[in-house]
Amino acid sequence: MTNGEENPIGSILVSPRAIATIAWYAALQSYGVVGLAPKNIADGIAKTLVKDPTLGVDVNYDGNKIDIDLYIIIEYGTRIKSVANSVAGTVRFQVEKCLGIPVNSVNVHVQGLRVSDPD
Amino acid sequence: MTKNVIDGQDLKHLTEAGLVWLRTNQQVVNSYNVFPVPDGDTGTNMVLTMQSAYDEVSDSAERNVGKMAQAIAHGALMGARGNSGVILSQIWRGFARSLDSSDLLDVPMLVHALGTARDTAYKGVVRPVEGTILTVTKDIATAAETACHKDGDNQSDLISLLECVIEAADISVQHTPELLPVLKSAGVVDSGGKGLFYILEGMLRHVQGLPLEGVSTVQALGSMKMDEHIMSMVEEGQDYEIVLDFRPYDSLNLEDFYSSLETMGTSIQLGEGDGMYRLHIHVPADKRYEPIDYAISLGSVTKIAIENLSVQVDDKQKTSDSGKMSLAFVEPGQIASVAVVPGPGIARVFASLGVAALVDGGQTMNPSTQEILLAFENLPTEKIMIFPNNKNIILAAQTAASLTVKKVAVIPSRSVPQGLSAMLHWQPDGDFDSLKDEMTSALTDILSGEITIATRSIDLNGVPIKEGEVIGLLNGDLVVSSSDLQETCLNLLAYAKAENYELITLFYGLDISKQQAYQIADAVRFKYNNQEVEVQDGGQPHYHFIIGIE
Repeated sequence: MTNGEENPIGSILVSPRAIATIAWYAALQSYGVVGLAPKNIADGIAKTLVKDPTLGVDVNYDGNKIDIDLYIIIEYGTRIKSVANSVAGTVRFQVEKCLGIPVNSVNVHVQGLRVSDPD
Repeated sequence: MTKNVIDGQDLKHLTEAGLVWLRTNQQVVNSYNVFPVPDGDTGTNMVLTMQSAYDEVSDSAERNVGKMAQAIAHGALMGARGNSGVILSQIWRGFARSLDSSDLLDVPMLVHALGTARDTAYKGVVRPVEGTILTVTKDIATAAETACHKDGDNQSDLISLLECVIEAADISVQHTPELLPVLKSAGVVDSGGKGLFYILEGMLRHVQGLPLEGVSTVQALGSMKMDEHIMSMVEEGQDYEIVLDFRPYDSLNLEDFYSSLETMGTSIQLGEGDGMYRLHIHVPADKRYEPIDYAISLGSVTKIAIENLSVQVDDKQKTSDSGKMSLAFVEPGQIASVAVVPGPGIARVFASLGVAALVDGGQTMNPSTQEILLAFENLPTEKIMIFPNNKNIILAAQTAASLTVKKVAVIPSRSVPQGLSAMLHWQPDGDFDSLKDEMTSALTDILSGEITIATRSIDLNGVPIKEGEVIGLLNGDLVVSSSDLQETCLNLLAYAKAENYELITLFYGLDISKQQAYQIADAVRFKYNNQEVEVQDGGQPHYHFIIGIE
């Protein structure tokens, strides 16, 4: 479903997919996030086959509020809570800045840790 | 002076020096922030991270430099706050791993360690953004590997290497606006990079015997507001705060300038922009005109603001409750409660209900896992219940619970009223599991309201809310808004159908006065004459009111 924002010439519709792409990009730029993961196997297979860049991001947008769920992989050795907070904040900021639509919630699901250097 | 090796104790002192110098310049780093960072300011975050790193080793007598580094890195990890804090913890982690368990650190090892620090830092992100602290980390590693290492005579001198590294850091920081356009348009350098620079510079100052505190460096003028108070602490004997703008006739000798000011007062801060200087100082009453006369002698003074500090402090003391607060005494085998609180008044209420330990939520209600852990680790009992009182803290509380051998239950209170409602059922000698269930189900016995100011304009369900309006939240959802505080409060209570309940409790925060709070409470009493209305001084920041409806 999309939002219909009226302007003099017509209406502007933003798809959840567009929102997801912004969120995906913002998440990958967040420190500590080293990947986005599928939330389940079916989702993973479907999105990998289609080469969907929004893997790991779920957006619910009913025209009023945006709810975003992120499924991320965090680098082992960092403080997970701080990273998760940062990602949530960055994604919210970027989405709101790009679209001008307020974000109701950003839920961060840490699906796993990547161990680059075991301590 | 040359030094070819350092040991664990040397590293410890250098870390402390880096921390102190960073703290001295904390506000400068904060002033370079360009993004609305939701988790706090860069300078503050890096100080907190470094503080945690140093606290881990402050009592340690460890001489092995590798082990000392591991401990510091562990402390940094535990206390990492915000983006910059996490990156800093990664830098320490890489650094420590490279040192492994070596006794002493020499030049080749340091060069290698800086490289590993850089690598570890970069591994933490998929798309690194250049023009940030990462770039500075990269540049100092490169400088250490190439320019510094081949320095001829001083090849094995650590101090020369440090000097060279700091110079490279400075250049790298100055270059960040070229790499990140948003810095350039804001007219600042990268805050995280600058923070790292200060940490390194502090280490060098320690080696050179230069002071680490009190001497403020000049910061960006834009970050020093005329009417905002830069220092919240007022020292003994200081009566007036003077802020003035002046343009010196000749170039200013900062050392002499500071020394002269230091004979007049304290809390000296200097801002500079386009040749104009802004001076901030606290002085005793008898010296109140000295800074002004001094500035006039040096240049043309354009603006002066004087404020009486003792009046401010008095006001604060009048509104704070002077009653002593005592926490519950815990005996072994009893169940102890730990509550996270946003303000002193609310802390007092929890204490009166029998809480054994309190955790200060702070300005951002974001205590670290460590803080929560420390609150209950030393209590003389194995049975602990934690009340986060904020939905963002529930995860930290659960993490703290997983890090201890004690039997800990997190009662997932999402707000202060929920936490209080649950605490009413607390019994020190009850059965742990059934008490946990009872308290958890009590959470929903109460409705939680919050009144605050909208920090941005948004559209809610088609209703436009303007920045600066007073908004009311019910159980975390924004439901009402208006331009008047009293109106929003009454609207919120109406929305919650308060007339169907028995008790309305209003906790007022730092942003409104006692008189205002009582006035609004009276209006509430008038409308809800069948309900009991209580007012308490909560002392919390940001929220004018936290409301419980039960």
